[in-house]
Amino acid sequence: MRYGMRVFVVTVATVVASASSASSQAPGRTPERPTVPSVGAPAGWAQCPRCQNETDRREARARFKVEGHAFNPRDLSGVYYGGEGGNRLFADPPPFTALGKERFQATLGEKNAAGEYLHTKDTSGQGGGSPINCDPRGWPRLAAGNYGFEFIMLPDRVLQFFEQTHTWRTIWTDGRKLPENPPEQRWMGWTVGRWEGNTFIVESSGYDDRSWLAQAQPDGGWPHSDQIRVVERWRRLNYGTIEFQITIVDPEIYTKPWALRPVQVPLVPGTEIWEYFCVPSDFNSFNNDIYLPVATGEKK
Amino acid sequence: MRVARLSATAFVIFVLMVVLGTLTSAHHSRAGYDAAPGSLVTNNGTVSNVIWRNPHVFVVWDVKDAGGNVVKWTGELSSPSTMLSEGMSRDTFKTGDPISATFMPAKAGTPHGLLIKVVRPDGKVVIDLSERRNLLEQ
Repeated sequence: MRYGMRVFVVTVATVVASASSASSQAPGRTPERPTVPSVGAPAGWAQCPRCQNETDRREARARFKVEGHAFNPRDLSGVYYGGEGGNRLFADPPPFTALGKERFQATLGEKNAAGEYLHTKDTSGQGGGSPINCDPRGWPRLAAGNYGFEFIMLPDRVLQFFEQTHTWRTIWTDGRKLPENPPEQRWMGWTVGRWEGNTFIVESSGYDDRSWLAQAQPDGGWPHSDQIRVVERWRRLNYGTIEFQITIVDPEIYTKPWALRPVQVPLVPGTEIWEYFCVPSDFNSFNNDIYLPVATGEKK
Repeated sequence: MRVARLSATAFVIFVLMVVLGTLTSAHHSRAGYDAAPGSLVTNNGTVSNVIWRNPHVFVVWDVKDAGGNVVKWTGELSSPSTMLSEGMSRDTFKTGDPISATFMPAKAGTPHGLLIKVVRPDGKVVIDLSERRNLLEQ
């Protein structure tokens, strides 16, 4: 009996270890050995973060002497890309409230005949067969889809510029407080930041509740209300690495605060942010000419 | 003995859950393509169009079927920036370029595929994502 149990435990542990090793490849990371060299940037310009392959990144880190480079922990400037983010960053949510359950159900989409999820309720350019209107992804969903972002430090504010959907948010650092009852709801929220030691604390509220926090797995999206408050902790761990940790506080939707795991994102020197808009005509063309015929066997 | 049988049953269920979970999550964003091992298709044709746009680049090439009719095949890739990192640019292919394309076919039987490898007649590899298929899930 004990032997049977022991065999079971050891076998399961082996399977878990092998499954975990097989899936340890983080979203956004690619294996080494690109077969074909990347396409370089025009003379005097730089590649976009995602335009580099692993060899480019390794060479750039050596060229810019990233290892051991002096840094000011209160200067977040730079372009960052990669890390262990993605939609799976939004894992293990706390239990929903009754309203949260209802709102989540409304995000669940259709499946094709083979039972594959089509994400048809997602209107922010990630849904396959969904109506494409390129609604802004908003914050913090942009943290789940990283095509590279740049921090720009100004005396009274910090700008975070995102390549994906080509947008930015302003984090005010001039001492202003979050408004109790903001006159408009924003996709990126009303956002202020302050330093506590070498940690940049960012707090935001006043969000438009139509955005999702991220795509849920395997279907739908994590909802939030217009009462959501997002607290972030950013730290520059060294010249080449920034870390962020997000906590979602939304008692209308989640019964407890939702603290996401910290994510470390590498600096990608020698790159600059390029243009990735969600263009409704392009996304619709893709949806109708490619996605739907493949996923459902029919055009819209 | 009974516990051993229960363990075996639990183990089988567990393995099924792991396998099915992996399959489900591996290609949900590419619904409709046949990702089964051994399903890859290769055909030869000439490029008639390249759409270099977000969210995904696609290449159209003409292939003559058994009856001599031209069938337009459409091959999906990843985003333009990801394809730049793989050495492909918007002018890599010109109209009329002969290519050999290897792809995951659409299960619906339409002339669509998720491109894995493209080779020119002289054997030059233009794209090879055989070992880097996770790029196509982005």
